[in-house]
Amino acid sequence: MARVAVDDERAFAELVRRFQARVTNLISRVLNDRECADDLAQEVFVRVFVHRRNYRHGAKLSTWLFTIAANLAKNEIRRRVRRRNWFSLDALQELVSDSAIQLADPTEGQEITLEREQLQEAVGRAIATVPEKYRLALVLRDIEGLAYEEIAAVIGIPGGTVRSRINRARSMLKRKLQPLLKKADTP
Amino acid sequence: MICVQARRLFGACWDDEITQAERESLEAHFASCAGCREEYDLYSRALELVTTLPRIEPAPDLIERALARSRRVAAAPDRMGSPGFPWVPVTASTALVAVAFTVFSPWLVGRTVPVALRPARTPAPIVQPELRQPGTLASETQGPEAQSPGGTTAPGRAAVVTDPLAAVPDSLFDHSEDIEFILDPMTLRRGRPAALRSNASAKGQQATITF
Repeated sequence: MARVAVDDERAFAELVRRFQARVTNLISRVLNDRECADDLAQEVFVRVFVHRRNYRHGAKLSTWLFTIAANLAKNEIRRRVRRRNWFSLDALQELVSDSAIQLADPTEGQEITLEREQLQEAVGRAIATVPEKYRLALVLRDIEGLAYEEIAAVIGIPGGTVRSRINRARSMLKRKLQPLLKKADTP
Repeated sequence: MICVQARRLFGACWDDEITQAERESLEAHFASCAGCREEYDLYSRALELVTTLPRIEPAPDLIERALARSRRVAAAPDRMGSPGFPWVPVTASTALVAVAFTVFSPWLVGRTVPVALRPARTPAPIVQPELRQPGTLASETQGPEAQSPGGTTAPGRAAVVTDPLAAVPDSLFDHSEDIEFILDPMTLRRGRPAALRSNASAKGQQATITF
């Protein structure tokens, strides 16, 4: 990062290469939108470049990057909410029940790969329906694998609040995926 | 351990952040409570689905795009909110100074003239206010200098002419042809001397000016 701060373009390219997968994955899982995740990931690195001289040496670079990514994702969610262009809970429940039926019925001739993809898609959409403040903590913890302290630094809330938000998000997610899991259990 | 306590430990158990004693207590509860056991089973399977989601691969040209855009931003730093000239605070402070000057200018202008430079002048005699009827004002402007109600020349005018300050123009405009209006005779009457107050002909009337 010190080399990036003195306009070393190769160092910046290396920084992007090293963190692009994690940043893209985080944004994509929070938004459940692949195309938008690419654009926002690019925006994250542009902002890193613009504010490269404001980076405090000693701070964890990944925390700074995730903070920028989380803020951009939150802004995007709010923008979508304002435009009422977001996935509704009813639509999710319909999709989850459809997926569950398809998964529960092997006579449909679905490929295992296709089933897995459908399951992952349903899980991704279920995550997307968790309220924003819980969703971000959930993705940072259970998908990105960050420690609670690091999540607290990224979101800017106390560690105890992070724990309660993650617990709340997990409970919500379990409720949303419950029909899918129970249907999958039935022979 | 009761069900509420057991379910409160689900998160810590999944994160493997519970003590050995808590774990044993939880397992003992699961052995006797099928509901909690099933709930934890669903909880852990749901989280397994989340944690085993495939990682989204970034766009292959993300590095090139980020570099290209960063170069453009570096070429035009003011487009990306980088610290430039602070127009907003400068404009706000300028406006504040202008407002402050406007408010305090009467006092400031009065105090900027040094006392030593001001000519010593004798107090001018009290000018008797003239009461004119609105209808007669136009004709008076064509005639000689203002006359007092008694027909004598008002001494105040002469005093003004001899005043050294008269050489300094008060205004860029010529006020010699100005017409004086008395808009509120009631206010004027309050400060008049008793001699004038007894003059029955000096009756004030409300003047109306239309433009």
